[in-house]
Amino acid sequence: MGDLPKGAAHLAYDGRELRAGASPGRCFMVDARCLDGTPVRGAYAHVCALTDDAAVLEFDHPEIQQVRRDALAWWIGMLGENLVCLTTLALDASRYGGAITVTREPVRWSDDPFARIFPGTLVRSDLFCAVAPPAGPVIERYAGVAWPGGRF
Amino acid sequence: MNLEPGEAFPDLDLPDHTGRARRLSEVAGGDPVALLFSRGWWCPKEQRHLREVTALQDEFEVAYARIVVVSIDASEVQAAFRAGLGARFVFLSDPERRWLERLDLLEETDTVHRPYRPTAFTLRPDLTIHAAYDGNWYWGRPTAEDLRRDMRAISSAVRDDFR
Repeated sequence: MGDLPKGAAHLAYDGRELRAGASPGRCFMVDARCLDGTPVRGAYAHVCALTDDAAVLEFDHPEIQQVRRDALAWWIGMLGENLVCLTTLALDASRYGGAITVTREPVRWSDDPFARIFPGTLVRSDLFCAVAPPAGPVIERYAGVAWPGGRF
Repeated sequence: MNLEPGEAFPDLDLPDHTGRARRLSEVAGGDPVALLFSRGWWCPKEQRHLREVTALQDEFEVAYARIVVVSIDASEVQAAFRAGLGARFVFLSDPERRWLERLDLLEETDTVHRPYRPTAFTLRPDLTIHAAYDGNWYWGRPTAEDLRRDMRAISSAVRDDFR
């Protein structure tokens, strides 16, 4: 994992827990805003990622574009005020390792579009803070930062 | 309020189609914006025009530009209309007509709904007005080509590496 681009932060996932930083477990880059603020205690993080390094796809694959469209079209709207934040999980400037949706209360996780790529695991977490959801329709990433983070 | 090109557009503060409080500057997120004031879901002209704008979102999604629609429809009505259009951009809701009067955009011929007059603006990322369109007559609204031209002009002006 190389230098962090502006707007990115490290997050580690060992299959059971999430930790800020690069270890222990698999290291991802997330939208830094999700970890930069007053955390929501006891939030529910739906982690659609695996600890296996082989679980990786290009951000530009059509299916990875489509789940971002689905998030904008209906997933974020369905969550409403329950949403704390959402971030994709980047491995570097071009590769997708998953996504995390964080809510205040449990929701119908079976509807999570990101679970179509990698299966979801529910993790209780005190790490994440409230971030305004992406406005859309932009699904591209800004300077390699995990969508929807970053800006020019 | 002067809403001519070169002027700063007000930083609207309104709930979006999910009911979440938003500011226009936050929704812009540092990108150019196509800002559309719409009568409401019931108007056939709005339905037609927003279908055209929605068709354009596939370009906006990869071009670092935003689309924002403002109407007097309640958030839940906007959410349904947005879903029907297949839109993936933000609608801002002003049922109390809080900004309508301040912007002086009342549609005076519709005394039943008292909606926004169909008006569109293309904005730089800092909300400076690039172009304004009076859509009272349908042909006054920005076409897809108008929006492409404006987004190209704004992007070339604000993106350092745009050649």
